[in-house]
Order: sequence, then structure tokens, then C-alpha cells
Amino acid sequence: MPIQFEHVSHTYSTGTPYEYKALYDINLEIEEGKITAIIGMTGSGKSTLVQHLNALLLPEKGTIRILDRTITAGEKPKNLKSLRGDVGLVFQFPEYQLFEETVIKDVAFGPKNFGASEEEAVKKAKHALSMVGLPAETYEKSPLELSGGQKRRAAIAGILAMDPKILVLDEPTAGLDPLGTVSMMSLFSKLNREMGKTVLIVTHDMEQVFKYCDNVVVVENGKIRTHTSVQEFFADSSLCREMNILPPALIRMKDLLKEAGFRIDDNIQDLDRLAYAVARQVKKHG
Amino acid sequence: MGNITLGRYIPLDSPIHKMDPRAKIVGMLLVLIAIFFPAGWYGYAILFAAVAFCIILAKLSFTFIWKAMRPMLFMLVFLLVINTLFLKTGTPLFTIGSFTMYSDAVFQTLYIAVRLLLMVMITTCLTATTKPLDMTLGIEDLLKPFAKIGVPAHEIAMLISIALRFIPDLIDETQRIIKAQESRGVDLKEGKITERIMAILSLIVPLFVSAFQRAEDLANAMEARGYAPGEKRTRYKVLKMQARDYVLLLICAALLGGMIALSIIL
Amino acid sequence: MKAIEVSHLTFAYDDTKTTIDDISFSVEEGSYTTIVGHNGSGKSTVAKLLAGLLEKKSGEIKLGGLDLNMKNLTAIRSMIGIVFQNPDNQFIGSTVRDDIAFGLENHCVPQEQMDDIINLNAGKVKMTKYLDQEPTRLSGGQKQRVAIAGVLAMKPKILIFDEATSMLDPQGKDEIKKVITQIHEESSLTILSITHDIDEVANSDAVIAMNNGKIAMAGTPHEVFSDEKKLKEIQLDIPFSMKMQGALKRRGVNVGNHLTMEGLVKELCQYNSNM
Repeated sequence: MPIQFEHVSHTYSTGTPYEYKALYDINLEIEEGKITAIIGMTGSGKSTLVQHLNALLLPEKGTIRILDRTITAGEKPKNLKSLRGDVGLVFQFPEYQLFEETVIKDVAFGPKNFGASEEEAVKKAKHALSMVGLPAETYEKSPLELSGGQKRRAAIAGILAMDPKILVLDEPTAGLDPLGTVSMMSLFSKLNREMGKTVLIVTHDMEQVFKYCDNVVVVENGKIRTHTSVQEFFADSSLCREMNILPPALIRMKDLLKEAGFRIDDNIQDLDRLAYAVARQVKKHG
Repeated sequence: MGNITLGRYIPLDSPIHKMDPRAKIVGMLLVLIAIFFPAGWYGYAILFAAVAFCIILAKLSFTFIWKAMRPMLFMLVFLLVINTLFLKTGTPLFTIGSFTMYSDAVFQTLYIAVRLLLMVMITTCLTATTKPLDMTLGIEDLLKPFAKIGVPAHEIAMLISIALRFIPDLIDETQRIIKAQESRGVDLKEGKITERIMAILSLIVPLFVSAFQRAEDLANAMEARGYAPGEKRTRYKVLKMQARDYVLLLICAALLGGMIALSIIL
Repeated sequence: MKAIEVSHLTFAYDDTKTTIDDISFSVEEGSYTTIVGHNGSGKSTVAKLLAGLLEKKSGEIKLGGLDLNMKNLTAIRSMIGIVFQNPDNQFIGSTVRDDIAFGLENHCVPQEQMDDIINLNAGKVKMTKYLDQEPTRLSGGQKQRVAIAGVLAMKPKILIFDEATSMLDPQGKDEIKKVITQIHEESSLTILSITHDIDEVANSDAVIAMNNGKIAMAGTPHEVFSDEKKLKEIQLDIPFSMKMQGALKRRGVNVGNHLTMEGLVKELCQYNSNM
């Protein structure tokens, strides 16, 4: 298990009038080599949860085991820097972290902070930039000259260049158009499949969870409500509806068909098989 | 940022909170001027009593004032050291090694400390009881007579209120950028000079870029809603002076008069 | 009657690239029209041009029959209201009440009338309870509702939403879509919404699809979503019901074009052999 939360709680601004308890006694194990979606309403504690993964926030109580390290409440974390290199955290709207004169310099900034030589850092940066699909002619441009989607890619490359084992993304597709969203999600899927990276994605988009993720963690009022496989989570829509989440379109379609008297197997989770099932029941008649 | 108390508005329900911001601003200025007249310890005792009464009336706690004072303690200690080194008048109090502490050094520092305390108390009385927006309205109204000689009263007020409106957002933004850069291995606390310069740049540049984006969005939103600087507009919030506001002004003026009189007598 | 008439409109931010390339379209008065297209296709630029926030290079814009030019700018601005994408960056006042008042102050509405107008419009977006709240204590959806109230208070004839829901969470998106639909039903306002939300597009009266600064397609949602070849060309997303239709077609089941799942299921029911 690369990531393990044991009785973790977190409170913001302890001892002030603004005190706010964000996480309560979290017990959670994230599977290695998988894409896990973290979902929940705004203010549920998702972002607080993921910021514990690279020790930006420290637990008030409890223990976090991540890779071969242990973060315990009340203790100063050891090897903080190497942890931050191993757990790459991409914030929402990461394009706002770009600051260097050129794209390549900005992407190389991370590796350099982790002790890479200039040459090594540039090499890593080029590799990361090619992974996110930015063309070579953008490398020497100012990040400000890039389009919105390209800026986002450059910022993500800035994290990938550190070659993290675990990649954590906080709403990585916010503000992108549908086409940009698809290509962004395909990128994470590729990083997971081809490079074996463990990926955690905080998202509100159930279509993404359904299409690209293996597991789902639902955070609700600072607690873990459910942790299950995506298949099981969307087997029928009752779980979603109970949590006030709009299920993916395919699941809604299944519901409507079932209500209309079609026999649809719970295991069907792709469009072609659904169309096949419907076609068989329609054709018998005609 | 939760521990900064100086200048922060504390939403309470008190007679001072209800007063007209213009009366409070002018009153504060009168008493601030009064502090600078050398009215002796009696004078300060009177001022202190008056301001303390005001703080009690505003339902503010003295720990709040103490917290606001705390950042200035360092300055006072520094001042005491300087005074000890250079002020060699009055009666010698004690000697450590080759340094002798004279009474004037202590009195001078105490004098400044008392003035500083009074200033903090008075400004807190104003800022803690007046909403930032009311404050800008008050400033705008007070500056209005100067508009004739070219002081852009309304623009100044608009500028202040927008700055106040966006400060919390910019603080959030800064914290987010710090976290994002820390995730890229930036260490803001340690490191060589060159590393620290890079670390600071990695915060400042994104903050500027985002502030400019905000400014552009805001300008568009304001323009789209019909705002044109310098053009005539009506005002939603209208300030009205009431009897208690005049009473406050009268008391403050009396305090100033009293201090001037005392300083002449002494 | 046309609420918006645009002919041969051209605009460029700089000399290197034409952002809006000779476009012409019109929007029917009282209609709910959506503009779709990828980021960078020029949609938001069109919104800014219509609101007079950018100056066109050439062409003509008419709003409510009135030419958009420097002389008519004030008149045009009071006719058109625009809600932007970022909920934080368009909240000007220090409380909800003050923010709604901001536009009224600019339009020199007498102070005695402001409270009534503020209460009325806060009610329309269900924000009456929050009138004295500061923006930091509001959710994104609530801030956008305030923005809508602020714009409605100025009694515009045309309302433009420039990706007003794209930065909101699902709850916020839902709230805003409901408010917009309700406003459209209860008033004669012309609504022009720039959006990526395919369900919103399917429910609108007319769609304009933009690509590379040009208008690629225009018509009713039904017309636009029926042109598969063109849709593929500009890589536009389509409603799920249309994807399902395509999959059924490949399985030999031919059904009509439906923009909603409900419509599709209703038709399929007629052929259901289980019944």
C-alpha cells in the first residue's frame, strides 16, 4: 500500500475564532498503480485530504504512511523535500504557478529544486514536455504566450519533470473545453498505464470518474463516505442519487431504459454493449 | 493571517459601531493631534481615561489592544537601547559594566510608549468599529470639499474600497501559490541567497500575473455595468450625522483644547 | 424583430491574428440562443464586442435596432447586461446589497428607489437571505446569482452569459442554469449564452457554433446536431442521446434524431418486444 491514512484529522486555525474542523478520523488506503477519483461537494474536505499527501498540511491527529515514509501528528516530517519530489501535487488552475521567462526554464525549475544539475533538469523538462504533448517550438517561448490549454500542460509538465511516483491532481480539467478535457484525461490515463504512476484526481465530473478512473473515494463533511471500485459505484444509480450526485449519462440512460421496461444488465458500462442489449430487445419485435 | 488585529473590523453591536464614520474619523484626528501636545502625565492620564472609556463603550477587549500593540514592543525595546546609549541626562539609575542608565532615558522611552499605546488605542477605536466600506464613504464625504481644488474624492474612495474588497482574495491566492511552489520543491525558509531570490520570484511573478488578470476582469465588469470614472452617479449609502455624533466631536474637540491649555500652563 | 444583428464583424487583438473573421448572425428577440465552440474560437470576444467592451475593426453591430457606436454606447450599455465567467472578479461591492447597488449608482437611480429594486432582484435569484453577506462567505454559485441580480436590476433587454457556469461546481452550475431558465420563462428578455454545456445547448432555441473566429454552423439545436459531417469537422460534443442513436444505428436500429434521452427512450419503447 503506497498511501495509508490512519485516524487522520485536521483543523484549520486552531485556537482562533476562525477554527474549522475539515477532516475527522480518516482511515483510507489508496491502491497502488491505479487511478483513484476523490469526489465530494465543495467544502467536503477533498482538497484538505490531498494536501496531506505531500505534507503541505500536517495531520492534527493520526498517521499517514506514504511510499516508505511515515508522517505522524505532532512530529516534524523528515525528508520533506524528497517526499515532495515523490508525490507530485498539481493544484487547481496550475497555470498560475508559471513564472520563468521560458517554458523550458519553468519546467526545469522543479528538478533543479530537487538537486538536478542544469543539464539534467533541462533533459527532464524536455521529456516531461513531450509527455504532455507540447511541441518543441513552444519550449523557448514565454509561458504567457501560450494558449490556456497549453499553459495548463506546461504547468503539469513542471510537476512531471520531478518524476513523481504518485501524481495528485486537484480538478485538473476545470475551465478547459470538452476537447481539452478529453486530451488531459487521456494524458493521465497514459501516465498510469504506460509509466505505472499512481494517480489521484479530485474532480466533480462523473463522466471522467466513469471513463478514466479505477476507484472512487467519496468525501462528505470531512469523513470518508464510501471507498469502492468505479464499476461497483456506478453499477446502479442509487448510490449516486443518495449522495446527490448526478450519475454519468450512460447510467442515466440505463435507468430510463429500465424504467421503460427494457432488461439491462447492471454490468453493462459502455455504450456499445448498451446499444447491443437494446437492439436485441427491439429487433425481436421487428 | 488570523493573528493580525491592528486595523481589523470587529463586527459588534455597540454605540460606537453605530456612529457616523465621519464623526469618528474627525474625532480620531483631533485626539491624535492632542497626543502630540506635551501636556504632562496628568494630560496623558485624562486622555487615557477618555480613550479607555471609548474602548469599553465599543465592547472591545483590552487583550485585543494588547495584541495590536505586541508587534511594536520590539520597536520600544530598540528605542530603550538607543536612549540608554545616547541620553545621559537626569539621575543615574544603575550601572552595568561601562553603561550607566539614566532616568531620562527611561522617561523618554516611557513617554513614547504611552503615546504609542494611545495612538494604537485610538486608531483601534476607529478601525475596529467601522466597516471598511463606511470608512471609505466617510473619507469620500470628508474629501468632497477638496474636490473643487482637484482632489478626486470619489476615485480615491473607490480605489480604497476595491483594494479592501480584494485583499482577502489576494491573500488566498498568495497562500495557494506558496503551496503550489512548495510542491515544486521551493523552500521559502532556507537555502542559498540565489535560491531564495528564485523562491520569492516564483511567488511574486504569478501573483502579479493573476492580479493583472483580476484587474482586467474587474474593469470589464465595472464598465459593463455602466461605470465611467468622473461621471455623475448617485449613491446607495448615505451618511447622516445624529446628535450623538456631534457629542463625540464636541468631546474630542474639548480633549484637544484641554491638552493645548495644559501644555501652555506647564 | 431581431434583438441582435451582426454583419461582417471583424476584430483582431493585434496584427498577427484575426480573432473574429467576418461573421454575420442575428438573434431573435426573446429567444434563448447559445454560442458553442472550443476555447480560442472567438466566442467570448463576440460577447465583449456586443457589450461594447472591445472596439470592432469593421462590420456592423445592431442591438434592438440601434447601431453600436461611440455615440450610442451609453444607451446600448443600459440595454445589455453581461455575466462573466469568474465569480470573484465581478463582485464589486463589499456586500451583496452594495454589489447590486453598484450598477444602479452608475445609472443615477435615485437613492430612495434603490432598496426596492435591490430587494426585488435579490428575490429573483433567491439571495434575499444573504443581502448583508460579504463575498468571501458566499459560494461560487451564490456569487454568480448576485452578478445576475446586479445585471437584472439595470433592466436590460438582452442578457449575455459568458461561460457563467464554467467555474462552478455541479451544485452551482445547476443553480445558475435554473435561474437563467426561470428568468427566460418569466420575462421577455433575450438570452445569449456562451457555454460548453451540451444539455443547455440542446434546450436552447437557436445555436451558433464558432470555430477559428468564424461561424461554422447556425440553426436550431436539431438542425445543428443533425449535421454529423460538419460536427466531426469542428469536433463539437453532441448530446448523449445522439451518441446512443449512432451506436443503435450501427446495430441496425434506426431511430430519429433526439436531443434528449427521454425522447429517445420514448421512441424505443414503441418497438420494445418485452412489452
